[in-house]
Amino acid sequence: MNEAQALFFAFQIWCSIGAIIALIFLTIGIDRIDEDAQGAYVFRILLVPAILLIWPLVLWRWFILETKRDAWPNRHSPPRHAHFWVAIIFALAIPSIIVMGLVVRQTWPVNFEPQKLSLLEVQIQ
Amino acid sequence: MSEKKAPFFVGYMGVPKALKSFLLKVSLLLFAGFTAGAVLAGASQDDPGQAGFRFDYGRQTLTGVLEANPYPLLYVTQGNDRVKAGHTMMLSGQGKTPIMANLAALEGNEVEISGVILKRGELDMLQVAGGKKGIKDLSKEGTIPASEPLGKWKLQGEICDGKCLAGAMNPGRGLAHKACANLCLLADIPPVFVSSQPVEGKEFLLVADPDGGPFPREMYNYVGQFLELETEIERRGDLLVLRIDPDKIKAIE
Repeated sequence: MNEAQALFFAFQIWCSIGAIIALIFLTIGIDRIDEDAQGAYVFRILLVPAILLIWPLVLWRWFILETKRDAWPNRHSPPRHAHFWVAIIFALAIPSIIVMGLVVRQTWPVNFEPQKLSLLEVQIQ
Repeated sequence: MSEKKAPFFVGYMGVPKALKSFLLKVSLLLFAGFTAGAVLAGASQDDPGQAGFRFDYGRQTLTGVLEANPYPLLYVTQGNDRVKAGHTMMLSGQGKTPIMANLAALEGNEVEISGVILKRGELDMLQVAGGKKGIKDLSKEGTIPASEPLGKWKLQGEICDGKCLAGAMNPGRGLAHKACANLCLLADIPPVFVSSQPVEGKEFLLVADPDGGPFPREMYNYVGQFLELETEIERRGDLLVLRIDPDKIKAIE
């Protein structure tokens, strides 16, 4: 299995888990944590693609709301407090990624001349 | 300065006097920074060259013998001003739509095919029009030209999807284009090897597997990289076909 196949396989596993969670969450969970969703069904299909991708977050929020641990006034505090360091990290990471990309970039083999090996093999023999 | 008297910038109001100098410096710095960034990013990229859909040619209709393996090819028997008889034309569907299913049953038949040409230098491809306008079976058996073995070669270059390379996208090659190229290959679009220098006069070669079938999916990881490979090459019509060997391929520095 090469890197591309491994990545694709991991993506398939991730989305398969997401599909199972989407099925359970959209049929059971959403009615338990959001009273506004009760009796409304068509919009749930629209949530499937996002749940396939961010199912760990869905599970986490489901757990928080189900166990009544949600403190909604503080919900956005962690991301707000992280803004400063995230900004610093991004400011460093983005130029670093560009520079690394340029450093590891391959060079087009402009001077390589195609070699006929079968002719060489005949000459060697 | 006390906090009460600190100047405060509001975009739709006049700039506070105390901030004018600061705003000018920041504006100039940002302008210079983004300009320099844009120039550097542009200068680090290779020139994609001249390629594209030749809508200016109009719709092209060609008659020839169809071969579906490894990819849809038309051996032109009756050409026109743009495409001469004897040319081997690679075929693709609209966008990334596969056409192999429509063509496989017509293998070896004479057909009339209509569509738009994509062209980059000597590389060309016909994007076949949709529906019955695109492919017309002439119900006549044709002769597929015999392939001529050209021996084993050591080459350096890059595997691309032939359609984007021929001008469906610019640039249509390189690592940044790898995902698009692989999606094209999944849609039966012929993969093309770009050689560092011409092989038997040809810079672009169609890629097949060691048995002459379609480019193997387990090798899609090599698309978009600069590679060195040892390969058998054959001539089909005026097109060179490279039979890629998974054990004789490596990425170069």
